[in-house]
Amino acid sequence: MGEAVTQSAPVLRALQVTKRFDGFVALDAVDFSLREGERVGLIGPNGSGKSTFVNSLTGVFPIDHGSVLFNGTDITRLTAWQRARLGLARSFQLPRPFKSQSVRQNIEIPLMFAVGQTNPDRIAAEAEAILLQVGLGAQSRASPKSLTQVELRKLELGRALAAKPRVLFADESMAGLSDTEVDEVLEVLMKLNAEGISIVLIEHIMRTVVRFSERIVVLVAGKKIADGDPREVMSHPEVERAYLGQ
Amino acid sequence: MGVDAELLFYALQTGLLLGGFYAAVSVGITISFGMLDIVNIAHPAFIILGAFVAYYLNSTFGIDPLLSLVIAAAPAFLLGRLLYKMYYYAFERHGEESLQGLAFFFGILFIVEIGLILLFGVDYRFVEAPYISTTFNFWYVSLPLRLVIPLVVGLLMVTAIQLFTSRTFLGRAILAVSQDPGALRLVGGNPVKIKEIAFGVSIASAVIAGPLLIIIQPVEPSIGRDYIGRVFAICVLGGMSSLRGTVVASMIVGIAEAVTATFGGPAWAPAVAFSLLILTLLLRPEGMFQR
Repeated sequence: MGEAVTQSAPVLRALQVTKRFDGFVALDAVDFSLREGERVGLIGPNGSGKSTFVNSLTGVFPIDHGSVLFNGTDITRLTAWQRARLGLARSFQLPRPFKSQSVRQNIEIPLMFAVGQTNPDRIAAEAEAILLQVGLGAQSRASPKSLTQVELRKLELGRALAAKPRVLFADESMAGLSDTEVDEVLEVLMKLNAEGISIVLIEHIMRTVVRFSERIVVLVAGKKIADGDPREVMSHPEVERAYLGQ
Repeated sequence: MGVDAELLFYALQTGLLLGGFYAAVSVGITISFGMLDIVNIAHPAFIILGAFVAYYLNSTFGIDPLLSLVIAAAPAFLLGRLLYKMYYYAFERHGEESLQGLAFFFGILFIVEIGLILLFGVDYRFVEAPYISTTFNFWYVSLPLRLVIPLVVGLLMVTAIQLFTSRTFLGRAILAVSQDPGALRLVGGNPVKIKEIAFGVSIASAVIAGPLLIIIQPVEPSIGRDYIGRVFAICVLGGMSSLRGTVVASMIVGIAEAVTATFGGPAWAPAVAFSLLILTLLLRPEGMFQR
């Protein structure tokens, strides 16, 4: 699989992406590429720009300089919902379900908007299938308010998956979970990746990142300081100093 | 004491009937202010616009006000969508909606009001329909159709909007955009388009409430100002974005106004909504119902 991944074309590229907030440089000319079906870990200390980077690529806010390419097409000027429809999905660090709607209805919204399905029966059936896939089949009719933390994270992933993404940014999907729960979420992510979805895992739990990723990218103070094989990156002196050696 | 009890009974009866009409008047503000965060202070102006549409169609072509309500709905929906587009491109897109947007809707309020004055003058106008002067009496219960019809239509309107928001994908998208537009955007929903449709529904509901108002009482162009405090008070009391809360709050305001008018005099009635608004904000700022 590693061989095939290496040879595939980049599905997503960021070129010299720069983002400033009132003069503060949150991202400083960051280059990034992600291949079809690749699993990448994005790490960095708090405030290093990880979430800003994800927000920049998914179109939550505009960037000040640089460009973002999806399948070779420049999507820098596209809005977040246009990027979602193309196949860029993300889950949130803090789960943000639509609380007034059931678990299944939360999954149905992206099926309608991102995928453009209109047949209610088909949408319902597909939503049920996605819930089974992420391990929430039994909670289909429940309110998100009744879900546990790990179930909420799975709902986030399910909702992102329902948008039929080609790239998924999992933003701290495992923060605050127990080891068993982390394994559950990791299993879901591996399953999604096995279906061909490229995944960028933004995570603080190093053991999990190393276990999951084929490649690790490190951001420190808005700059990319390392990008490569997990073992090599983790032993990179600058990474140890800036992040691991704290 | 016996007389007081009888008066109270009539006040309660009138208040309940009036409450149904208030639900029709306020459901649009629950959508625009409660769900979309748009402080549409011009909402009552569109109620009066609807009333004058009913007046014009009735006085010129003899069209029943209830039919004019159907005729006005679609153009009002399109007008609402157009207004939201203007509001979005001028203010919301730049994050300048709070103060400048409020000024925008103030402007719309006055434009509609002055437009109606130029077209129809400042006199009170009324409509003619066979049911307006009909009253059914059962025992102590008196049911004037000019109040029963707005109650029924008002409750039907809220039920229809409730079914729309809970049973259709578009309606559920409106609930989603009211809760978290950012999250909706990231699953492929275009919040601007959804808000535009929802605002269209809001304005259509206001214009539809107009013929109901002119069935109840004669109207003149500036009468809409009386409803500004009332509709916002009902929205806040009902829990901002809860349709069920809007109905219950409308009934409470209707009854409170009718009881106040009966025992304290009609002059005190307009103060009721503001008093309830202040009490709600002090004691239960989240309102009675939360969606």
